[in-house]
Amino acid sequence: MPATGASKTQILHMYKEFIRNASKIQNYNFREYFLRRARESFRANKNVENPEKISELLSEAEKDLGVLKRQSVISNMYTFDKLVVEPLKKR
Amino acid sequence: MTMTLLRGVSVFSRRVPVAGGFGYLKRADISNVVLQGRTYASAKVALAEDLTLETHTDNQAAAIEQANERAVSNPDVLDSGIHSLQHAYRESGEYGTRPIYLDMQATTPTDPRVLDTMLKFYTGLYGNPHSNTHSYGWETNKEIEQARKYIADVIKADPKEIIFTSGATESNNMALKGVSRFYKKTRNHIITTRTEHKCVLEAARAMKNEGYEITFLNVDEQGLINLEELEAAIRPETCLVSVMAVNNEIGVMQPLKEIGELCRKRKVFFHTDAAQAYGKIPIDVNEMKIDLMSISSHKIYGPKGIGAIYVRRKPRVRLDPLISGGGQERGLRSGTLAPPLVAGFGEAARLMMKEYENDSNHIKRLSDKLMNALLSIDHTILNGSADHRYPGCVNISFAYVEGESLLMALRDIALSSGSACTSASLEPSYVLHALGKDDALAHSSIRFGIGRFTTDEEIDYVIKAITERVDFLRELSPLWEMVKEGIDLNSIEWSGH
Amino acid sequence: MFRSVFRAAPSLTRVSGLRSGFVKPTFSSASRFYASSSLSKEEITTRIADVIKSFDKTASATSITANTQFSKDLGLDSLDTVELLVSIEEEFDIEFPDKVADELKSVGETVEYIASSPEAN
Repeated sequence: MPATGASKTQILHMYKEFIRNASKIQNYNFREYFLRRARESFRANKNVENPEKISELLSEAEKDLGVLKRQSVISNMYTFDKLVVEPLKKR
Repeated sequence: MTMTLLRGVSVFSRRVPVAGGFGYLKRADISNVVLQGRTYASAKVALAEDLTLETHTDNQAAAIEQANERAVSNPDVLDSGIHSLQHAYRESGEYGTRPIYLDMQATTPTDPRVLDTMLKFYTGLYGNPHSNTHSYGWETNKEIEQARKYIADVIKADPKEIIFTSGATESNNMALKGVSRFYKKTRNHIITTRTEHKCVLEAARAMKNEGYEITFLNVDEQGLINLEELEAAIRPETCLVSVMAVNNEIGVMQPLKEIGELCRKRKVFFHTDAAQAYGKIPIDVNEMKIDLMSISSHKIYGPKGIGAIYVRRKPRVRLDPLISGGGQERGLRSGTLAPPLVAGFGEAARLMMKEYENDSNHIKRLSDKLMNALLSIDHTILNGSADHRYPGCVNISFAYVEGESLLMALRDIALSSGSACTSASLEPSYVLHALGKDDALAHSSIRFGIGRFTTDEEIDYVIKAITERVDFLRELSPLWEMVKEGIDLNSIEWSGH
Repeated sequence: MFRSVFRAAPSLTRVSGLRSGFVKPTFSSASRFYASSSLSKEEITTRIADVIKSFDKTASATSITANTQFSKDLGLDSLDTVELLVSIEEEFDIEFPDKVADELKSVGETVEYIASSPEAN
């Protein structure tokens, strides 16, 4: 990751928030999707060096994170049985 | 009987302890906030736990019980398929019971981002978008116009050319009935195909009763129409050609651009039912010379109950409205718009654009994986063209297996043997018939719908389940026995013939 | 009626995607008053090793000890490390404060932090 110092930490914190909130989604398909998309898009942009571009991406991520946080909460309010591919216990 | 009664009671009474527990949880949660000082996380937890028992519909035990009851009430299936059905749930009890959803042509799950957009219209933005005397109306109207633009952008249309309707069925009816009624003095002929969605076929039949002539074009064994046949069918009094973009049962894509050019050349309006195609395959209404297009929101991870029709402005397409009233939507579709649905639809369209590449690659990869694995089973056939297809719809016939019994043995996977509207009857699919498939093959066909939210894990599970159960059901079939012995089934003289 | 109570009970605990103390019986929360976690360091190390093993990007053959470094020994990049730490958070029902997480580079450091945090379980 070419981003250095403050922006690198910022990006990693943002990534952590995405992973944390996505993995709390109750619905299997939505959870897997948002985890996959978070991984893909942070990796796809890992060579971005232009500081303006980085801050643009970060502010876009901030908005998406808001959606993710709210929807993660909602998905835990209305839940359904686990799918046949989902283990009932994590371990 | 007592079982059912008991269950009814218990489902109801489940809620009782909740009401009692509510206050306790609430108090505990406040102290939690103070202790940990993490307001956000605690508030989130509190929300989830508060509402737990009122809203959670997960009840593994009840689901298993139900499934067993269903199996018992159907002893034939149980006896004949007991081993096969044991796989219908992973018996270990370590996995969930809810089926994998692979019926994306029937409808798609609502994207959480779409729901997020819609919620504010149910909480604060409740103004009537047609009220132009106050800010409640203005703010909603602004959102509607933004949504309209997102929807138009997907097909490179002008936002003014998008008319909101209740769904693709209404759009299709509007196109077929509206256009031909408007031009009825000079033109009384409509051309469509045999593999259209039921609502187009029925709308065409209704126009026949109004005195119009209808030509139903045949399709070849690939499911594609013949352009020469289309050209030959166009008459001076033809007003409309309606050909669907992507077929809902077999996923075949018709050559829109060629059809559009032909229609423009012969000065006939071209309507396409793009319910299954919009946002999923590249469509440019100008390049493809499309005059009218039906769009559905719930096929693109948007809300149900809304759709749109694209109506070209230059050269102008005119049509009689089906619904008269206050003159909303350019007078073509009166009635107050539903802002939550419109905004959700708009967000869904925006996401189709934004995620186009990612979705396409993901769906193509899963589709290839599924198709390759299933077609490697003996005596399986892909229905419809292999080259001109939308990969998210895979329709396969499993010879010597009865489709309905396969579906019964696959209760852990939500699939369909045809379109949602026709699969209620046991009649074999008219689409597969139009492709020249015989009844037996049409009966043994299954449609797999793959979407944005389908995972590799699910596809692996489906491949394993189908392979095992097709094997199992074939072992039960006397026909399969003969096939294995090398008897040509066509050489047999069946008694009674 | 009794059945319904029993049925409601497991669904209560199972929803704990967002786990929290107050759903559990009160006596177990007594441990919260101790200054540090009730978990032994050996137990924490074993559970972290299990999380790492189920974390698909890592070389599974590597034997995991307190000295194992996330980037040097497991070959994780900065994004992978973040993800692994989130999995560990989930395993122990805690959240590492950002400042702590940024400094965690090895299994040993992570074990130390978890052992010293009273909420971990």
